Amino acid sequence: MFSFRKLNEKVTAVQKNAPQDATFRSMLWSRFQKNRLAIWSLRFLYFLVFIALFANILANDKPLYCKSGESTQFPVFREMGIDLGLLKSDGKFLLTKWQNQKFESAIWPLIPYSSTATDFKNGKYKSPFDAQDVPSFRWRHHFGTDQVGRDVASGMIHGTRTALLVGLIAMLVASIIGIFFGVLSGWFGDKDFKISRIQLIMNLLAIFPAFFYGFSTRSFIISESENSGVQALISFAIFLGIFMLFNLLAKPFERIPSLKKSISIPLDLLIMRFIEVINSIPGLLLLLASVAVLTKQSIFTTMVIIGLIAWTGIARFLRAELMRIKKLEYIEAARALGLSNRQIIWRHALPNALTPILITIAFGIAGAILLEATLSFLGIGASAEDMTWGRILRSSGDYFSAWWLAVFPGTAIFLTVTVFNLIGEGLTDALDN
Amino acid sequence: MLTFLVKRILIFIPTLLIVSLIAFGLSRLPNGDPVDNCFDPSGEVDSRYNYEYAEKLYKERAKDLGVHLPPFYCSFAAQAYPDTLYKIARKSKRETAEKLIAQYGNWSKIESYFKQLKTTEFALLSVAFATDENNKIQTLRELRQLPLAYKENVIEGRLKGLQESTQRDSVLNLKVSNEVDLLISSFAAVKANATTQKLYIPDFKWYGYDNQYHHWITNFLSGDFGISCVDKRPVVDKISDAIFWTLLMNICAIILGYLIAIPLGIQSAIKRDSRFDKVVSIVLFVLYSLPVFWIGTMTLIFFATPEYGMQIFPGVGLGDSGASAPFWTRFWERASHLVLPVFCLTYPALAFLSRQMRGGMTDVLKKDFIRTARAKGLPESQVINKHAFRNSLFPIITLFTSIFPEILAGSVVLEIIFNIPGMGKLAFDALISQDWNVVFTVLMLGAILTMIGILVADVLYAWADPRVRVK
Repeated sequence: MFSFRKLNEKVTAVQKNAPQDATFRSMLWSRFQKNRLAIWSLRFLYFLVFIALFANILANDKPLYCKSGESTQFPVFREMGIDLGLLKSDGKFLLTKWQNQKFESAIWPLIPYSSTATDFKNGKYKSPFDAQDVPSFRWRHHFGTDQVGRDVASGMIHGTRTALLVGLIAMLVASIIGIFFGVLSGWFGDKDFKISRIQLIMNLLAIFPAFFYGFSTRSFIISESENSGVQALISFAIFLGIFMLFNLLAKPFERIPSLKKSISIPLDLLIMRFIEVINSIPGLLLLLASVAVLTKQSIFTTMVIIGLIAWTGIARFLRAELMRIKKLEYIEAARALGLSNRQIIWRHALPNALTPILITIAFGIAGAILLEATLSFLGIGASAEDMTWGRILRSSGDYFSAWWLAVFPGTAIFLTVTVFNLIGEGLTDALDN
Repeated sequence: MLTFLVKRILIFIPTLLIVSLIAFGLSRLPNGDPVDNCFDPSGEVDSRYNYEYAEKLYKERAKDLGVHLPPFYCSFAAQAYPDTLYKIARKSKRETAEKLIAQYGNWSKIESYFKQLKTTEFALLSVAFATDENNKIQTLRELRQLPLAYKENVIEGRLKGLQESTQRDSVLNLKVSNEVDLLISSFAAVKANATTQKLYIPDFKWYGYDNQYHHWITNFLSGDFGISCVDKRPVVDKISDAIFWTLLMNICAIILGYLIAIPLGIQSAIKRDSRFDKVVSIVLFVLYSLPVFWIGTMTLIFFATPEYGMQIFPGVGLGDSGASAPFWTRFWERASHLVLPVFCLTYPALAFLSRQMRGGMTDVLKKDFIRTARAKGLPESQVINKHAFRNSLFPIITLFTSIFPEILAGSVVLEIIFNIPGMGKLAFDALISQDWNVVFTVLMLGAILTMIGILVADVLYAWADPRVRVK
């Protein structure tokens, strides 16, 4: 028995002392795990993701399962199918008032209210502790209601989904732009981006037709089409396609020596100046202005705009990281092996530079969630159907006695932001050691 | 140092240019009519009955606002778009014209269709007594909806309805149906002679310096910010009233933030890993993550309203004692109103700064020169105050650049919550009421203030660290 335990200790000791065999990422993970706060934050994040994913099942005014007479139905799942476009909807299904019906047996969601449905019997700000006009404890509004009787608990659950989606999409947009500019400026610097004269001329020339045929002529189609997003993507593809075409056209001209002469473009200088300019713009005011002028306000547009403003941090961080990595030996080795620039960037440099970027992204998600909450607190940026924590918090301003409208959503925003900040801190510590 | 300053100031120019272009571009986005936003269209004249007068008034007002000019120096659009399109005064009508061109590409036919619309309207208006007066008014209303329709089936449906309602009435049939037939044929001509190929030929047009952007930016640079649409007051007056409160709040918050953060950060760094340090770290971290607008709302609800019996501070606004009240009465009233907002502005800055200060101080305390200072027997207080403190100040000074825009942004939300007539509230209200002269100016001033903040931080840094100056 004793020897067995000793053996075990030995094994763990060996495991601990063998970081050479471990990959960089697993090393990072084991360091991260030592930070108790960060690990608990990660667990809380899993919990939030769970709520966000299953929001429809957790809080809904339709039963999960119901049986009356011959028919057995699964309304919540049917609704999800309709939302996803898998099932056809019919008017009768949408108009059914499930709460008023008598079923032989039914299973209701945890919170039997949807975030937008109004419960008129319990309108006018019912406190969680007030007497509520409900059949039993099961049907109480545990987090209270707002003026028109919307259930706050359900709003909180559906708001979780919005909040996480905001962080995800805003940072996705920011990462794409940030990584693009970060690689250009960090990897190529001021001297390493060389193109021939004719290529430079052709690319400058291509700006006009690319913009014209990509966006200018298609603006009517984009604005009138039902899926503007898809049309905008097609426009973007045309835009890129024209650039590629012009680059192809440049090839034959490269036979002329004077046109072939290569010049280096100070990408780093240009991009850093650009970032400096963007950082001097008062961000919140600009965001307010650009969101407020939109005729069709939707939470999705707000997310994209937040991403468009928030990319500079990622670009700067990646730039610094790539500048460091560029000088490392393994990159030199890759060069010596004759790998192309593209291969080195994608297969060797970027994967190693991206791990530290996670820190910026974690903090960025916290920032994006906070920003969106601020916007919907001010009453802009979300359409009427989008349920957000900021909107619930906003309604507390109409009626100061309704403390539950301020306390619950505020706590949720605070906890979510803190969780992402703590994860960011944990990552920083893990990387610093 | 001088070249450094010049370089910094040179960056001002492209930044201001970009901010001005963004602000201008935003104001051009479709969202209501600029003239109707500025002047109440239903005010002194009921446009339904005195249509011509309303149109004339509209044109005059457009001229007052300067929106009758081309928007920018040049345009880069398809050949199908005429360079005189900006002359259509009404924004909604101009947009319909643009959408029609985007579908059919023949401006000359579309123009004659628009002209025919006008002639038909005149013909209808000149009918003094129709058999059925209600039918006439209905027809007129139908006709006036047409300049807004751009979808083929919508236009044709309306034209058909128009034809039917004119034929129903004998007088209208006699005097107007001719024009209506012409209108129908003119739209048929638009459809028949579509030149969509023109939509794919790019065309560069130059409008010269007499354009909206040029007028606005030159006026801005010469200090003329225009007149607010909402209350017709000069924007300068509105902003100079508002900027006082914003600056007052921000300066108080920054000074308080630094005054508390620096000693707190130093103490935690000296007593690293002690209980004091741990508690302070956790409290600061929590403070840092607390959303400003939430704490603003919570403090307002709990401490500034009588609902929960804890009304320590007065409610929103700045108090109502007029200018005639004695200075000290007014001072205390304003001050008591500002306590909560300044607190809400200070705590995030404070949390951020002390965390950074602690980090900076910890790094400095590990340096060799501190060890040397200790080794030569200096008392600990002197080591800290003379050697460590000054060196740990550098990073905290540069942080001013990131604190300043944050605080400006924070004050937007807080001014709205606490109803303080500062720049943030001014900008927000102007945005909601589409008062673009005010929005432009606030955006530009915000950018200028941010850049000055960055400049000040750079200068301070150079002052504190001689190595920067030499470089």
